[in-house]
Amino acid sequence: MNPQDLIGPVSPLGNPAPFWFITFFKVLGFILHMIPMNIWYAGMLLVAIFATFGKNHQLELAHRLSRTMPIIVALGVNLGIVPLLFTQVGYYQFYYPAGILMAQAWFSVIAILIFAYYGVYVYSLSVKKNKSTKFALASAWVSSIAFIFIGFLFTNNFSLMVNVPNWINIFNKTNIAGAVTGTALDLRDPTLIPRWLMMFGLAITTTAVFIAFDASFFKKNATSDEYRKWAGKFAFRLYAVGLIVFAAMGSWYIFGALEKSTLNAVTGQPLGLLLFALTAISPGFVLLVLFGQRKGVRGGAVVTASILQFIVLTLNAISRQWVQNVEIFRYEDVSKLPVDIQWSPMISFLVLFLIGLAVVGWMVAKIAAVEKQAAKA
Amino acid sequence: MHYPWWYVPNLTSPMLIAMIATVHVFVSLYAVGGGIVLAGETSFAYKVNNKSLLDYLRSHTLFFILLTVVFGAITGVGIWWTIALSSPLATESLIHIFVFGWAMEYVFFVLEVISAFIFHYYWGRLDPKTHRLIGWIYAVAAYISLVLITGITAFQLDIGNWTPDKGMWVAFFNPQTFPQIIARTGASLLLASLYIYLHAAFKLKGDHQLRALVENRTSRWAMAGAALVTVGGAWWFINLPDSARAALAGASALNILSILVFASSAVVFFMLYFGPYRNPGWINPGFAILYFLLGIAATGTGEFIREGVRKPYIIYNYVTGNNVVVSDIPKMQSTGYLNGGTWTKAFVKAHYPQVMGADGNIADSKLLQLPPQDQINLGRVLFQYHCNDCHSVNGFSGIVELTRGWSKDMIGTVVTHLDKAHFFMPPWCGTQAEATLLTEYLVSLSPPSPSGMRFSSVNAKSDHTFANQIEGEEVSK
Ligand code: HEC
Repeated sequence: MNPQDLIGPVSPLGNPAPFWFITFFKVLGFILHMIPMNIWYAGMLLVAIFATFGKNHQLELAHRLSRTMPIIVALGVNLGIVPLLFTQVGYYQFYYPAGILMAQAWFSVIAILIFAYYGVYVYSLSVKKNKSTKFALASAWVSSIAFIFIGFLFTNNFSLMVNVPNWINIFNKTNIAGAVTGTALDLRDPTLIPRWLMMFGLAITTTAVFIAFDASFFKKNATSDEYRKWAGKFAFRLYAVGLIVFAAMGSWYIFGALEKSTLNAVTGQPLGLLLFALTAISPGFVLLVLFGQRKGVRGGAVVTASILQFIVLTLNAISRQWVQNVEIFRYEDVSKLPVDIQWSPMISFLVLFLIGLAVVGWMVAKIAAVEKQAAKA
Repeated sequence: MHYPWWYVPNLTSPMLIAMIATVHVFVSLYAVGGGIVLAGETSFAYKVNNKSLLDYLRSHTLFFILLTVVFGAITGVGIWWTIALSSPLATESLIHIFVFGWAMEYVFFVLEVISAFIFHYYWGRLDPKTHRLIGWIYAVAAYISLVLITGITAFQLDIGNWTPDKGMWVAFFNPQTFPQIIARTGASLLLASLYIYLHAAFKLKGDHQLRALVENRTSRWAMAGAALVTVGGAWWFINLPDSARAALAGASALNILSILVFASSAVVFFMLYFGPYRNPGWINPGFAILYFLLGIAATGTGEFIREGVRKPYIIYNYVTGNNVVVSDIPKMQSTGYLNGGTWTKAFVKAHYPQVMGADGNIADSKLLQLPPQDQINLGRVLFQYHCNDCHSVNGFSGIVELTRGWSKDMIGTVVTHLDKAHFFMPPWCGTQAEATLLTEYLVSLSPPSPSGMRFSSVNAKSDHTFANQIEGEEVSK
């Protein structure tokens, strides 16, 4: 079988938006999704660890994180819609087959995610009621492991999406009269593990920044100076750990797993090389800023670190997109698919997007005012 | 047909969509109706300054969030994940048509999540005016998300004036959209009320007075809901495409069920009027559970009917139940179903290279030269890709039971005249030779008539041999 044989035809409907628009919202959507996703991805494990083994401030951190975790998960799940939507629009010939080949895993994510999310609530409500039970602790562990496992399954989907030769193996192994059982994963893919753990490293770094952010801005009145001091130092250390994981896994991915031709296609262009270099070194700047506030969180430093971390995530998302495009264009240059722009729905969406941002801004301003007043009182 | 088919034994993969969609709708309707009722009742409680009512509403909001933001939201995205696995071509098409509809939906989902959490966590900390407003932001966002998604599901049942060169709005404003929006608005209010009765019956067990107030207030929403369900349902029925109405009339189960849904909405209206509205306070936990289960059953049935009458299409007149674009059918009928599917063709090419023609396509004429077992195997491939969307082998709508005791002729005739046998099946989309392969496969499965029935067992046996004789004669001629 030839990989090209398995790629379906182009949709007669035409893409509803130009390719750059689809890619832009796919990447933007992914950045927005990554922020909360990173926080539960690494943060929930931290909660479980500190809730079980932690003392004093560590325990306090577990409690603080768990109180905001329900909204973080809700936001992250909903913010995941747009990147997946635009993946389905722009890359359908690759996305759907990969998903179907591992359909059982995909389908199981629904149940796993519901369990994981209720687990977050069980622990969070137990902290709120000040009654920590074994059941609540166990829930925190189950949730954190479930989140990491879901990440593993999603990594499978997105690595399988570009690994067309592996479709053939899977198709041969898991079909019943030509229909697939959906039991596969992309386990034979050398990029799978480093990709998965690279995101985990990145998640640790984002969580570290969030911990500093939380200590300096949320519930100001209830936060002791000691905790703030501790949080500054801890955020710095945690970031360093995340950076080590990210760097190690990133190097494995780029130098040990990624196909040379793909790497060359990106780094062969000055812009690509620059992008990769920036992606690799950008977390270093955040670490430096966090180093500056290791003796206690400071608003200015934390805001700077947060903005820089946003840039780190942005660079990661763009690099990933670039690599994905190189890998996919090998089979079909999806940027050249026919386009039939749906102007008025597109404009309606953009307008609503802005209105939505404004409404969110208004609501956040309202609660910020409440928090400020509480801090004064 | 552009994608691999996901084989789920005994159930068929599209049934997974039905399962998850049904449990989703129980909660998603509450997410909308409950948001409206909570915003309305909170405004009322502030206005009359009723502290205990506010406290109750606050505790209900936590219950509401735990159910809608977790279970409701995740099963909602779950439906979307599942349709991509089980009906990929239809999903690909819907997403191309409605991508910006879904993108707008996303804006409202995010607004819902943020406003719901603020509404709950800042209860008592925000001034009443802002708090009320945030409740209404949630209600409006949730309602618009209902409107948007309903336009898309309505489009699947009737594409109206849409053609592939027309954009999203033509697709959105199809004849089914408004009736379905009204029916669902009603269902959402009605179902939300039942959730409130249920919650209040337990939570306010000891507080008779407050419970009576909550019941009385809620029953207004519920009655409005029951009325809207009836109006929307009737309008929906009037606007149904012919095939859907025939499906309703033909399937006695669907027919009885839909009458039940209408009748029970009307009954519920009067029950509500004379019950919690005129005589509030009498709903005890047992009654609340009963009411609630009735509501769930009616909602589930309504949605089941809505989905059921769409056959043979996933998108009316555009994508069939077996994931084929309608306009591709004539070509497939002449050059072959196996040829028309990306994965079926790759499969045949890899496993049966002897049937590939010089032009790189499957040569129809070579199919029937394969040894009998290979013919049956390819027949099975055809079954997977052409029939397994709606039929399993032994389980749900199992083909084995459907063809029990059938002669080869009968099976062959139905295969080539699917749409004539039942208009809710798509037409046969392959060549004559492919029909023969599929028939061979089905014959190899078809069990004899049950033994012990004198006339049928005699007939069935003679029928089989008769059919074989004719086959034999034809071959020998
Ligand atoms: C869009 C859905 C759909 C598809 C696709 C479909 N069918 Fe059906 N078919 C049905 C339904 C619904 C029934 C009625 C089942 C029942 O009565 O339980 C049915 C009934 C049948 C029956 C029984 C007919 C009778 O008169 O009792 C046979 C035989 C059958 N289908 C064969 C097939 C074959 C073979 C294929 C594939 C080539 C196929 N169907 C594809 C929906 C479908």
